[in-house]
Amino acid sequence: MHIMAEAAIIFGICLLSEGIAALLPFTFPASVISMLILAVLLLTGAVKPKHIQLLSGFFIANMGMFFIPSLVGTLEYAEILKARFIPFLVITLATTPVVYLVTAWTVQLLIRHLHRKGGESHE
Amino acid sequence: MSEAVFSSPFFGLTLTAACWVFALWLQKRTGLLVCNPVLVAALLVIGVMTLFHVSLEDYNAGGSIIKLMLGPATAVLALNIYQQRQILRSHFLPVLAGCLMGSLTSIAVVLAFCWFFATEDMFTASMVPKSITTAIAVGISESRGGIQGITAASVVITGVEGAMLSPLFAKLFRITDPVAEGVAIGASSHAIGTSKALEIGPLQGAMSSVSLCVCGILTSILVLFL
Repeated sequence: MHIMAEAAIIFGICLLSEGIAALLPFTFPASVISMLILAVLLLTGAVKPKHIQLLSGFFIANMGMFFIPSLVGTLEYAEILKARFIPFLVITLATTPVVYLVTAWTVQLLIRHLHRKGGESHE
Repeated sequence: MSEAVFSSPFFGLTLTAACWVFALWLQKRTGLLVCNPVLVAALLVIGVMTLFHVSLEDYNAGGSIIKLMLGPATAVLALNIYQQRQILRSHFLPVLAGCLMGSLTSIAVVLAFCWFFATEDMFTASMVPKSITTAIAVGISESRGGIQGITAASVVITGVEGAMLSPLFAKLFRITDPVAEGVAIGASSHAIGTSKALEIGPLQGAMSSVSLCVCGILTSILVLFL
């Protein structure tokens, strides 16, 4: 597909999502709506992966680059970050193992339980 | 002349692209997870701006164009869900339950710490989505009045931490099931953790990439009830 046709599909979905986000009675990230719309279009076969492969390949390979302006923008809030540096670091680092522990054990126990009940192996 | 150069949108575009490519090269060269390209590139951009006394406003003339592309970059994460649809279907219940518990835990732990440190609302809103992938996290942060940069910084540090420590977590917490390990990596350290999960094993990698999408969606929904 022509790369600009891919752009029209992907940007069009983003545009539609912003419209939907504006209509919702609560605030919800338009980017998540666009991800859900694209997932539905792919799963129903309305859009095929080959219809968006060039542009999505570019976006996925360079995903990190799109966050750089947000990080640089922290400069504007350097005072808040400086004043809240300890909470920032503690929250950031301490939450991760707790989330890992809870998630892993939920999945592990549920799989064992379903395995015992259904006798079906996942491996 | 320098003012005309720095205030052109091409300045922010060139600087961001150049720092990004350099940071990617550095990561490949050193192979160190701490040399996370997003973190390194952002620090380089800030370094150049400080050196040449470039204002944030000038940088953003070009930076905002790159930031705009965060929307489509998030949308194409749907390909992850699509490519892993078989695995998602065969482990639907454990994955959904694990991601739900993980997302709830992350939000609860962050809120508990924020209450303990008595942080301002703006800061709390910035920290709540710290466990999910940056693209979705900054969207949530913005819609709740948080500061995108603080969110992005926390998310990236979380990811690097998860990628470095997840093999240790698996041993420490006695996680033997590869599905559980993958889901937990995606839930606790999103896309950066997923890069490590892919090294651990293909099943862990696939589960981790499904989990980062599911957790992103669930967290966006859960914060509506805060």
